Parts: sequence; C-alpha cells; structure tokens
Amino acid sequence: MGGGVRPVLRKIWLRQFLLQGCWNYEGMQNVGFAYCMLPALREQYKGRPEELIRALKRHLEFFNTHPAMAGVVLGASVRLEERVAEGEADPRAIGTFKVGLMGSLGAIGDSYFWGALKPMAAAAGAILSLVHPLLGIAALLLLYNVSHLAIRYRGFVAGTEGEERAARFLRGEGLARKTEDRKLVAAILGGAYAGVIGSRTALMFGGIATAAAVLVVAALLVHLFSTFFRKAVSPSELLLFLLVVGTLTLW
Amino acid sequence: MIWSILLAAVLGGICYLDRTAAFQVMLHRPLVVASIMGAVFGDLAAGAQVGAVLELLYLVRLPVGASIPPDDTGAAVFGGAAAAVASSSIGLDGGSFTSILLLSVPCAELGKLADRFVRRANGRIARLTLESVERGDSEAVRHGLLAGLCLFAASGVALSLLFAGLGVSLSGVLLPRFGPESREQLSALLPAIPLLGAASVFSCSRTEKTAPVFYLTMTAVFAATFLFRWAG
Repeated sequence: MGGGVRPVLRKIWLRQFLLQGCWNYEGMQNVGFAYCMLPALREQYKGRPEELIRALKRHLEFFNTHPAMAGVVLGASVRLEERVAEGEADPRAIGTFKVGLMGSLGAIGDSYFWGALKPMAAAAGAILSLVHPLLGIAALLLLYNVSHLAIRYRGFVAGTEGEERAARFLRGEGLARKTEDRKLVAAILGGAYAGVIGSRTALMFGGIATAAAVLVVAALLVHLFSTFFRKAVSPSELLLFLLVVGTLTLW
Repeated sequence: MIWSILLAAVLGGICYLDRTAAFQVMLHRPLVVASIMGAVFGDLAAGAQVGAVLELLYLVRLPVGASIPPDDTGAAVFGGAAAAVASSSIGLDGGSFTSILLLSVPCAELGKLADRFVRRANGRIARLTLESVERGDSEAVRHGLLAGLCLFAASGVALSLLFAGLGVSLSGVLLPRFGPESREQLSALLPAIPLLGAASVFSCSRTEKTAPVFYLTMTAVFAATFLFRWAG
C-alpha cells in the first residue's frame, strides 16, 4: 500500500470490514462496496461531482462475494477507477471485472473459510475449552484470524497492483491446497472430539466390552447424523426431534 | 439481575454485529458468546461448557449467498445465560445441560427469522440510498451504511435481551420445578448432542481422504482416553 494514495488505501482497507453493513436481498453487498470505494472516488473525481455520482452508481450495482475475499476486488476496482478517471479505460470494464471475479472469489472463499478454516478453528476451540475456556476461545480466534486477516491484506494489496495481479492472486495463494489441508485437520480434530465424548459416556458404564459397544454406537450415530445432513436435514430439526424424545421420556 | 441482563444485551449486540454486518472476526461464535454470557451471569466456565457444544452444532449450515443459517449466536446468548444461572442454583447437571441445549433451538430459529427481517428492511434502505445518490447526494452512501449497521445492532441488542431473559427464566424458574429424577432421565440424551456437533464437523470436512481419518482418530482417542481413565 505505497505511494501518494496511501491514506486513502488504508481507509478503504479498514472500510472493507463494514462491507456487509447494509446487506440486503436485492443488491446484497452493494451499499457496503460503494461505501468502501467512496474515499478513492472522492479523490479521483475531485471537482467533478457528476462523474463522482456516476461512479458511485456503478458501485451500487449488485455485488456479492465472500467478505474476506472482497479486498481483491476492492483493490482492483480502485486501480480501474483511477484509469477511468484519467480517461484511459471504459467505465463498463469495472462492472465486467467485478461480475467476472466475484463469483469465483465467493466460491473459493466459501469453501476455504466456511467449509475448512471455520470447522478447523471451531473444533480446536471446542476441544481446548475442555482444558480451559479461555484457551479454547484463544485457539478459535487465533486459528481463524491469522489466516483471515492475512488473506484480506494480501488480497487487497494484490488488487491494487492491477486486475491481472488480482486474478493471479487466486492461483498464487494456493487456496485449493490449503482448503484440503484445513479439512484434514478439521477431520482429525472432529474425530478427536467425538472420541473424547464417546469415552466419557463409556466410562459411565465401565468394562471393555461395553466400551467397544459404546464406540460402535457413537460412530454409527455420527454416520447417521452426517447422512441426514447430506440429505439437507437441518441440525435444528434433529435437535427438535431429540427435544420431542426428551419430552416424551419425561411424560 | 436486571443490570446483568442489560449488560448481556449490550455485549450480545456487539457480538451480533460481528455475525454479518461488521468485522467477521468470529466474536459471534457460540464458544465466545456463551463464555461472555457465562461471565456476565457469574460462571464463565459453565457458559463455555454450553458454548463448546453449540460451537459445532450448526457448522454444517453455511452462510452461502442469500441462505441464512440458524442463529447460533442467539442460541449461545440463551445457553450461556441459562448455564451460568443453573450452575449457581440447581447445579449444571446432565439434565439441565441437555434441556438448555435442546431449548436453545427455538432461539436459533427465531434469530434466523429476525436476521431475514433485517435484511429485507435493508433492501428499502439500499433503494433509498440509490435514489438519493441519483439526486446527487454522495453522502447518502455513508448514511445508508450507517442505517443498515444500526438496524443490525438494534436487532442484535433486542435479541440478546430476549434470549438472556429467557435463559435466566429457564434456569431460575422452570428447571428447578423438575426434580432430580426427571433431570436424570433427560440426561440420557446428552451424549447424542455433542456427537451431532462432531457429525457437523465431519460433514463440513468430508472428502474421500478425510472420512477414514475422522473415524481412525475417533477410535484412537476413544481407546486412549478410556483406557487412561479406566486404568487410572
């Protein structure tokens, strides 16, 4: 984030944390995106209010991607707007670029952050909170945010270096490999958590044979629940079923 | 108690903002929120116990595109408050723990409805913002975003107030009416709930490679912890 526009870029980088501040079903992150771009647009279209309004309207069009990946598009849009303001690029190129990139960034971000990093951090937090609550919380926040903040920063910097560099960022980060790795760690931690829960239950009964039976039942339950999840049954529905069973037991 | 509930509402509102509108640094996760609620109502560890289970339950529902997952932050506000109050009154036994976890489900679903309502209301704010910008008011973007943030925050504070109040009422009024025997019967369901959380992690991380790793780790950790405690 070097050069004369440094304070503006810093402002935009910080504003990206409010990208979803006015999330809505029609334009999704559109108001947030325009808000992030505002400092750059004000500088680029200084003394040209009509062009500033036209630029703002461009950024109030539909936009939706994974919030942690939006920095790439934001950085590149600042760069593109600079060229549009200087008359070197067609304003329509910005819309095309944003639409072209937001889908793939969203898919990669959802898969990495929601599908791999969050389960890994959550499972680590849940296990370590058995040792001490604060240790669990620290593990959850650190494991998630080290990667999250680094990608937000690197993505934004790559974006400000131009749209080609922004597109290359996706390959350079190696997020597909990282997703696989995090999923593997999440599976190990999830398995460890299930093992601890199973052994606690087995200890209530005692005996090796009973313990083996408890392990088999626990593994079958995990398998059954995950089969339900694959068939789009919500965890809430399964928990409500357990609530009904519990109420009937009491009754 | 009133001051504790008000403090819980303010802190819950801040955590709710992290859920969608701002930051997304995982301050809204159940482990964090339930521990905070536990601390506010006098027992951080009890809150964290409930939070650790809630943390994994809803992971399988991803907030992708326009889909809204169940509100696990709201479930954690309810669960953390209820666990801390139960721990200082009837004790956080297996039955109380199970009831708190199961009764947090309606909170998660109610919070989801409120989230949907806020996002619809934001649609109106976004339209008004666009209209103002078209009239030449560039400041409207800042005002629009601020209005959206305020709406998310107000909804978070209101939900936290409601769920913390419900949690306190559950443990202070409803649970003591059930005798120890009833609670003991209910605790039979307890092991199934964390296993649902483990299944949620398993479903998120499931690939051809990770499925056997999950079950192998489960067996190894089960055997190690069981034998260690059994022999000890």
